[in-house]
Amino acid sequence: MTLTPLNAVLFGVVLLLVVGFYGLLITRNLIKIVLVLQVLVKAVVVALVLGGKASGNLGLGQSLAATVIVADTVVAVVALALAVQVRRRVGTLDLAKISSLRG
Amino acid sequence: MATILIGLVVGLPWMGAIVLWRTRDENPRLQHTLAVVFSVAAGVASLALIPFASAETAFSIPMGRYFSELTFTADGLAVTLTAIACVIGSLAVVFSVDYMQGEEQLKRYYSFVLLFIGAMTGLLLSGNLLFMFFFWEITALCSYALISFYNDDPKAVAGGIKALIITQVGGVGLLAGALTTYAALGSYQVSDLLAKAEEIPAGLLTVIAFGFLLAAAAKSAQFPFHTWLPDAMEAPTPISALIHAATMVNAGVYLLARFYPAFEHVPGWAMSVIVIGLVSAFISAVSALIATDLKRALAYSTVSQLGYMVYAIGAGGVFASQFHLLSHAVFKALLFLAAGSVIHSIGTRDMRRMGALGEEMPFVRNVFIIGALALAGVPILNGFWSKELILEVGLEGSPIWAYGIMLFGAGLTAFYTFRMVWLVFFGTERDHLHVHNAGSAMKVALGILAAGTFVTWLLFGGLNGLLSTTLPFHEIEHESLLEVVTAILSAPATWFALLVVGLGFGISWMRMRGFQLFGGSWLNPLVETSFGFDSLNRIIARSVNRFAGQLSLTQTGVLSWNVVGILGAFLAVLIFLVWSA
Repeated sequence: MTLTPLNAVLFGVVLLLVVGFYGLLITRNLIKIVLVLQVLVKAVVVALVLGGKASGNLGLGQSLAATVIVADTVVAVVALALAVQVRRRVGTLDLAKISSLRG
Repeated sequence: MATILIGLVVGLPWMGAIVLWRTRDENPRLQHTLAVVFSVAAGVASLALIPFASAETAFSIPMGRYFSELTFTADGLAVTLTAIACVIGSLAVVFSVDYMQGEEQLKRYYSFVLLFIGAMTGLLLSGNLLFMFFFWEITALCSYALISFYNDDPKAVAGGIKALIITQVGGVGLLAGALTTYAALGSYQVSDLLAKAEEIPAGLLTVIAFGFLLAAAAKSAQFPFHTWLPDAMEAPTPISALIHAATMVNAGVYLLARFYPAFEHVPGWAMSVIVIGLVSAFISAVSALIATDLKRALAYSTVSQLGYMVYAIGAGGVFASQFHLLSHAVFKALLFLAAGSVIHSIGTRDMRRMGALGEEMPFVRNVFIIGALALAGVPILNGFWSKELILEVGLEGSPIWAYGIMLFGAGLTAFYTFRMVWLVFFGTERDHLHVHNAGSAMKVALGILAAGTFVTWLLFGGLNGLLSTTLPFHEIEHESLLEVVTAILSAPATWFALLVVGLGFGISWMRMRGFQLFGGSWLNPLVETSFGFDSLNRIIARSVNRFAGQLSLTQTGVLSWNVVGILGAFLAVLIFLVWSA
């Protein structure tokens, strides 16, 4: 596989995805989980632009990416606000401890 | 003009539903008035629509690429059933003014009634299969909401949920048929399916035909889905009348009649329709013989009469079935509303506690007897002509054993009808019940329906002309009223059928004189479990529950497991793509 600019970006996307999923698997802190999710979403944003470029439909890819950025920011804000509430009510951000409280 | 009228017929009830939803329960007079005004207006609009019946699409609304067009077609079949739904529906609303007097939450009651009527008209007039499905599901939802109207009564809630689940099974059949049609023809239009049925590959057409049959059987409470209708009797009685006569169960028969030309050559389809109708008609007639709950007995008789209509369609008599549907709608609404005023005035539905009520409520007794005679198929009344027409079609278009069973069913009908009338209105007083007579709004609705029972068969010529000229794919012979009357009266089969009916009356009379309620006690356990189908329902429900319980193990709520699941699925897709490429 030759290293064209497109392939380089693709490699970056895969790398970001791997980092994101690995992070999701091992992280237990709620705030860190929000951060890791951000990494995953960034991979998606880059992939959208890349897909737009590769299919010759750059405008579409970019506008989708912009949409994802906006939506994702909202999600992150809400998630962080929830994390603050969880910390206040439960006293911990550790996922294992939070989920042991259910039922 | 037709466009405006269709808009009114579908729109008025829904508009009424929204307006009523905005009213307050502190003002019941306003709610009663609004409901009557909107439903009667829809009834008038539906009658005004009849002269504009035509096979052409009245108007269409583009709905984007994937849903094609929402078309409305007001052909003869659609306008007849729409008129039945709206007129009988408005009479049920008028009756409710007395029946629901003093009840709480009238807002919820009337809104759903109007939504129900509007959904039914939409279903009938829609020319697009996908939107037909949409309206179909709304009627199911409304029936659930209304059957469970007394939502603090667990039996009512259970009955509503049962109706909802069973009609959902049918809805899946309709949706599958609609999607298969789209896959085969690239169109959701009903007219396309009727016109191009031969072009569809045989396998796919079989899927569509039996999908629609499943839908119709579930909706019309036909075998093996006949268990929901008797349990739906927990609803307020005007709702029972609405479901039985106007809005709900007619939809199944309508569906079969509408698509009969497309499916008649599918191997085994017509025979399945005959058998389903036959089995339903027979076992529910037997159930009605020993039911002790007045409304349940009527519910069984509805399943039985619907069985006659389904049977007629299977035997090729689309017109006979629709004619019987008209008669049945009128006399069954009459019977239900009369039963409703009995129940309303004495506060029980148990026929064993009634008796000798006739002297205290003579008006109700008289109209109930008229309805009962029509149900049994006694001459001059509308039930006689339509039932004879069905039997005549059956004699030509179905095997002789099927005809024999249906004839026997007619005798059973006479038997249980007589038993019902006798137990409620005659004999001796078995329990001291406080009786108060029917209110004036009840009498208006009952009077109109009783008059209708005498005269609707005179509409034969008009209905026949309407259907034969506006249904291009159905082959309906043009016959005048006079021809049919002479044909029916001169056929020996008619006199034989009358003999069977008379025999049913006679045997029932003899039994009642001895004041035996019924001797066939071995039938009781069979009927109470709907011939074993209730336990079948329960087994299915239990196994679905167990399966769901086992699946819930996968809902751990632990993030790591979810990520593993996502990655696993991702890998599986990747492997599949690589392997298939």
